[in-house]
Amino acid sequence: MRISPSLVPMLVVALVVLALYWPLMYLANIPVAQRALDTGAALPCQTAFECATQLRSPVLPSPQQLWNGFGNLMFPLNSPNAIPVNAAVTAFETVVGLLLAAVVGFFFAIGMVASRAFERALLPWIVASQTVPIIAIAPMLVVLLGQYGVQGWLPKAIIAAYIAFFPITIGVAKGLKSPDPMALDLMKTYNASHWQTYLKLRFPASVPYLFTAFKVAMTAALIGAIVAEISTISFQGIGKMLAENSRASDVVAMWVIMLSSAVLGILLVALVNWLERLLTPWRRTGGGAAIPAKQARLSRREGVG
Amino acid sequence: MMQANTSPESSAKGSKAEAIVSVQGVSMVFPNGTVALKDANLEIAQGEFISLIGPSGCGKTTLLRLLADLIQPSSGTIRIGGKSPEEARKARAYGYVFQAPTLMEWRNVLSNVMLPLEVMNFPVQERRARAERMLALVGLEKFARHYPWQLSGGMQQRVSIARALAFDPQLLFMDEPFGALDEITRENLNLELLRLWRETGKTIIFVTHSIPEAVFLSTRIVVMTPRPGKIETVIPVDLPQPRTFETRETTRFFELATAVREALRKGHGYEVTE
Repeated sequence: MRISPSLVPMLVVALVVLALYWPLMYLANIPVAQRALDTGAALPCQTAFECATQLRSPVLPSPQQLWNGFGNLMFPLNSPNAIPVNAAVTAFETVVGLLLAAVVGFFFAIGMVASRAFERALLPWIVASQTVPIIAIAPMLVVLLGQYGVQGWLPKAIIAAYIAFFPITIGVAKGLKSPDPMALDLMKTYNASHWQTYLKLRFPASVPYLFTAFKVAMTAALIGAIVAEISTISFQGIGKMLAENSRASDVVAMWVIMLSSAVLGILLVALVNWLERLLTPWRRTGGGAAIPAKQARLSRREGVG
Repeated sequence: MMQANTSPESSAKGSKAEAIVSVQGVSMVFPNGTVALKDANLEIAQGEFISLIGPSGCGKTTLLRLLADLIQPSSGTIRIGGKSPEEARKARAYGYVFQAPTLMEWRNVLSNVMLPLEVMNFPVQERRARAERMLALVGLEKFARHYPWQLSGGMQQRVSIARALAFDPQLLFMDEPFGALDEITRENLNLELLRLWRETGKTIIFVTHSIPEAVFLSTRIVVMTPRPGKIETVIPVDLPQPRTFETRETTRFFELATAVREALRKGHGYEVTE
């Protein structure tokens, strides 16, 4: 398999973490294993060192236990109790939440750019909304929405949107304000309408800011969706699995689900990155060394002009 | 040689045309009390190439922005082709080239030149044809598909000139368009701008702080001095057209440059540095 050079630093970090994890795991588990042996528990091992990797409720699960746990929780792929289906549900809630947040965020951002009064009236409340603990507000929102028949995945998406709209609002507002005063003067010399100035200048200029905001908002929305699943009645989702296994004190499963949600976060942000590359082709810097050569050729032509 | 005369001069092309720009007793005081421009009077005839020259704070950019209706004067009257600056702006009577190219980074070169045509609702088929013609005019037709970051500073500024000319305005306002470029590129672009001026017959008002640039380009030079910003004098430039690289080496060029330099010095008690 060919490994992209850009992945190497990331893999090095993974190896270092793994190398550190091993001794830490022994350090944490040996006393527990010793106590278990002392109380005469039935264990398939003789020494504390051996038992450290085989505890039913380890402080830190061994890599082998994680691997096995991963195998147990991943398959069958279409099982309603396995990670793939639940991760897909959470991902769906997250993405819908992000889109809802984008709509609300755009609305607030345009208002804030268009009117100082709007910004002054609303920004403190928008900030305040973000300091309310989501874990407290989620059940209440679900009760409220349930009153109007909104149930299932939608309340989770709305809660995800509740935390995700803030970075989008701020990012888009910054993007809409980003055009140079000269560019705004330029539009004025064309006698462009407000709408044209937004369409031809402010919106396109805000796209890079939008994607940066999306990356922050995506991780926030994922946390929102998971917290919403944990703190409300859920039948599906990563949060529901976490809540179940937490009640069952299955430490290994908790670790496996936690790591899976981290992977899900990486995948969702990667999706935003991919969309960014697709939709902002003018920012593509092309293939490494090709650029200086191209610029050299261009500046030679300049001399002729 | 030097005349404090602000009545309409006949243009270097010899024809006595009616004033396309008329500035009468215009002053500009900013809210903080700065007198950016005091009692400016200027008449510019169709087809002239006028340079506004002076040190920082002499009001040359302010005057250009007043003409373009980007700011409004505290007092005095400005007429652009018989209209108020606001009417002229709404009638899209002028193109404006800024100090920086201000190209839209998400649009390629061709599409940047088409921007004003889109805003002004030109027919779709005509936009591309016009933009391509303008790019050919500035010698960049081969770069239509490039993005701005792929071009040098000088090429970007040529694109912005093509963009300003795309909708065929009578007037071209240029605010230190070559200020950020190196001397060699600047001299090349000066020559190209004169060719554009001859081919298109536009009236150009050009802000600069470079004496050789002003002398080389202009039919008349408006010398401005600071604190408060005012028009010190207007110097006609009688160098023959078409001007070439050699024009800069003639005796007359040096005489005119010296006249501008002395006018700048006279208007203010310190050496004007280039």
